[in-house]
Amino acid sequence: MTVVPAPWWRIGWRNVGRNRRRSLFTIGGLALAYCAVVLMTGLSRGMIAEMIGNGTGILSGQLQVHAVDYLPERSVHETVGGQDGTDVGALLATLEEDPAVEAAAPRVYGGGLVSAGDNTVATELIGIEPARERRVAAITRTGLEGRLPRSGENELWIGREMARQLAAGVGDEVVVVAPAADGSLGNDLFTVSGIFSSGLAELDARLAFLPIDALQRLIVLEPGRIHEVAMRVADPWRAPAAEARLAGRLESRFPDARVRAWTEFQPEMVDYAALFESVEWVIVLVVFVMAVFGVANTMLMATFERRREFALLLALGVTPSGILRSVLWEAVALGGVSLASGALLTFPLLAWWHRAPPDMSWLYGGFTMAGGLVRPVLRVEYPPGMMVVAALALFGTAVIAALVPAVRAGRVPPADTLQGR
Amino acid sequence: MSPTRRRTTRVLPIALALLGGAPQILRAQQETPAEIVDRVDRLLRGESSRGRVTMEIVTEHWSRTLEMQISSLGTEYALIRILSPRKDAGTATLKAGEEIWNYLPRVDRTIKLPSSLMGSSWMGSHFTNDDLVKEHRLVEDYDISIAYEGPRGGTEVWEFDLVPKPRAAVIWSRIRYRVRRQDLMPEWARFYDERDELVRTITWSDYRTTGGRLVPLAMRIQPADKPDEHTSIRYESLEFDVNLGPEDFSLRRLREGTP
Amino acid sequence: MRRPTLLVRLATRNLRRQLRRSLLTSAAMVLGVALLVFSRSLASGAHEDWIEAGVRLGTGHVAIQAPGYRARRTLDDRLEASDLERVRSALGAPAVARHVVERTTRLEVQGLASSANGAVPVLVMGVEPATERRFSRLAERRVEGDYLPADDPLAAYMGRELAERLDVGPGSRVVLTAQDATGQVVGQLVRVRGIFETGLPDVDERIVHIPLATARSWLSAGGAATTVALLLDASGAVDPVARALDEALSPGRRIAVLRWQEAMPELEAAVRMDDFGDYVFHAVTLAIVALAIINTILMSVLQRTREFGVVRALGMTRGETGAQVLVEGVLLSATSGLIGIALGFLVTWTFFRNGLDYSFLMEEGFRAAGAVIDPVVRPHFDLLQLVGSLLFVFIIGVGASLYPAWRATRIDVAEAMKFEA
Repeated sequence: MTVVPAPWWRIGWRNVGRNRRRSLFTIGGLALAYCAVVLMTGLSRGMIAEMIGNGTGILSGQLQVHAVDYLPERSVHETVGGQDGTDVGALLATLEEDPAVEAAAPRVYGGGLVSAGDNTVATELIGIEPARERRVAAITRTGLEGRLPRSGENELWIGREMARQLAAGVGDEVVVVAPAADGSLGNDLFTVSGIFSSGLAELDARLAFLPIDALQRLIVLEPGRIHEVAMRVADPWRAPAAEARLAGRLESRFPDARVRAWTEFQPEMVDYAALFESVEWVIVLVVFVMAVFGVANTMLMATFERRREFALLLALGVTPSGILRSVLWEAVALGGVSLASGALLTFPLLAWWHRAPPDMSWLYGGFTMAGGLVRPVLRVEYPPGMMVVAALALFGTAVIAALVPAVRAGRVPPADTLQGR
Repeated sequence: MSPTRRRTTRVLPIALALLGGAPQILRAQQETPAEIVDRVDRLLRGESSRGRVTMEIVTEHWSRTLEMQISSLGTEYALIRILSPRKDAGTATLKAGEEIWNYLPRVDRTIKLPSSLMGSSWMGSHFTNDDLVKEHRLVEDYDISIAYEGPRGGTEVWEFDLVPKPRAAVIWSRIRYRVRRQDLMPEWARFYDERDELVRTITWSDYRTTGGRLVPLAMRIQPADKPDEHTSIRYESLEFDVNLGPEDFSLRRLREGTP
Repeated sequence: MRRPTLLVRLATRNLRRQLRRSLLTSAAMVLGVALLVFSRSLASGAHEDWIEAGVRLGTGHVAIQAPGYRARRTLDDRLEASDLERVRSALGAPAVARHVVERTTRLEVQGLASSANGAVPVLVMGVEPATERRFSRLAERRVEGDYLPADDPLAAYMGRELAERLDVGPGSRVVLTAQDATGQVVGQLVRVRGIFETGLPDVDERIVHIPLATARSWLSAGGAATTVALLLDASGAVDPVARALDEALSPGRRIAVLRWQEAMPELEAAVRMDDFGDYVFHAVTLAIVALAIINTILMSVLQRTREFGVVRALGMTRGETGAQVLVEGVLLSATSGLIGIALGFLVTWTFFRNGLDYSFLMEEGFRAAGAVIDPVVRPHFDLLQLVGSLLFVFIIGVGASLYPAWRATRIDVAEAMKFEA
């Protein structure tokens, strides 16, 4: 008898709708499994990005620009553009044009001391533009009392430990002394405008921030002379690419400026990232295995329960390959619908949490992590690789797991099955 | 000590013949190298002194000349007040024992220097704050031997090798010190690290009799790694055994005026 | 209601009879628990290692100091010889001694390290070479020379960054200057004996180890110390040990006992962040395990509509039918849970008792930062956690059976018989 090529895919598709409950379970299970794996990977990447962001975002930023010879000695004379300085405004504008750069802040560095009454503390002085710095360095958000210094004023923002050693508080007058670029001893009176507490002992004891123009006056540098521009890049992994682009952009107008990404000036963060990644690899694997297993389990169960149905079909003259094909198409249909649902469930969630990471600080009560530098948020970064891999793996699992019982059913004489053996 | 004694006695008759027995020289001949160096060391410190000094500082990025007034009492007290240029005029440094204070007229404040800044340079010069504070005499910390005796550039000199004593807390692995035999005037001192590389050279010159003593009026510090840089000081005036006591080196004096 | 034992017998027989279905359902739970045990033990191990690495580089799990030391960090706040005697005897108490793995005594002071070529502010730590070598593991980070030998009073051990800034190598002379116990500024000659590298700038640039005896004589400190640091066998022991020591040592107000969270707040912040990531991953893992189990159980039981119809027709009451489903759920969950725990424990122990070494996951040329945190995670088994995992799966399994049990009571016998078996 001629076998009409039966539309197995239509039969398969209809089977999906025929046993709604069973299909719903399978679809639900697979969709949620997909969601869990992709979400887990996204969270893992988000955690690492957050960790790197925290480590590099406190003060150094993810990208930095210096004069070619500035590092490693950090001589006060090596300003960007040399002795004549540079057009700071134009430099900042050029840097901020890059799509990856969110904000750029200029800085001047000087070493000296701060003294109040009988107490003197050796200090690293950092001249900043407060408005810009707020968008770059997380340390500006760790203010405990008072406020950041105002441009044009002789104001100082010091760490809690330094304030303690100086026995000085907000509003007190202190003396700042630093060797100037012309060889003289720069010194002037400053008012403490605020106190910060980053939770990091070194920073709280050794750093003092002041307006960039005030520091330039103190150490006799012209307004166009700066030592560094620090930049913020939201996703730290985009920084190396941005470095390459910026290097090209700066070449013509700012030939002596050198751009570096955090991967160069904080290489230990790269190592920490690798370390965490490898630990989380284990966890992601666990979730993946469980997801695959869950899907396989469901499909196996679903198909095994239908032995009678297959036996009936065989008895009616359907070939074993026919059964296989209908099951295959059914699995494909199920898989397709499931993954579509899974994607529908996952992607909006990912997008939402990526844009607005939910704050989990309620989990921590009154504890402030590292002076507020570190925020416990549920950050996710898109894991495009895993989105594809998980889809393929789960889809494949569903199909294989559905086919296995169908293959077996095809081998057993229908009469046996129908009898219940 | 015996080898050095042998050397001095060998030299003795020649020296007597050459120099007609000036008492200073005869005394020198009987002293050990350690004693000679100690004497030179103390010569440069004096008991109490007061003087005006010009300091020229040349660095890679800037050059300056400071004029200052320096008073000192033994090795324990020193007060330096800057007279010019105008930007720094009135700035003063007080050393008392191993502590240093700076007075800054612009802000009218006195600041005590923390120990972590002891290694940093004094007023941008090639002297460190630590150099100012150094109390120990060379003989306490170094074993001294004669490395060379004889003529150099037309003058009879000793070149001493100073090697730190086993537990001496000093950073130099070796100092080479050239001293003129006739008047015990130091010519130069070269400071070496333990790779025996020269780190800095101090050179003395312009020997004059002032306040009853023969002293070098000019001194120059030259860092070996930056041959274009140096700090040179010259005494424009210098008096010894002036009427100064510890009370003249107080914080109040630091603020108010030079004794 | 028929006798409960009958129900149980029926339940067991049902499970055995439908072996494939039971096995599939059970497999979900077994795998789930096993994976939970595996991932939790490794995560817990990583957590413990992380804390241990941090406290070894600092002041141990528990630090004993003079009360003002943590705030002021000067030699004025030190433990005298008599205080140290009391500490020694307090450490002998069995409740404390059995948790203490290492103990080290230190005299620390801030000072200046000078060489012919530079001067750098440092933290000088006078240590007992024998105990410190085991405690801080800095001896293991040696890149040149030796750690402090027992017979060399002038030995110094410093970081590579510091050695470079001072331009010194093994054998070089370095002069340490600091304020001693009487307030005098005193110098001490030391010779560089060994150089280490941890990759952490704060450590490599600022730490110098010298023998405790040398530090004591240099600083005229007699038999004093600034810190006695204790390393314990597990972070869980911190509270009981700290409490016991506090009771013994606080009378007289001369001795303060600090937990590592108080002594090293930065480490605590870092650990909390790690905890946070941990919670998130744990939550997702639990969710996926629960999902797989629920899905499987629901599916398996809802396939048995016809079977329940038959059973009801034969005379079982609604309640008994429901109860039977529940009992099956309980039995399956309990057995699977226990097997799962055993399996998870066995696999983790067999393959990873020496630690999961994931250095293979990291690139070549892994920097020294990795040397501080061992890229080998040893599993840490916590009885509470194991029981918790078991209970979790049990509750999920039973909970998932509740709905089907309830459904089973609502079956309309006639309708049910229409379903295929």
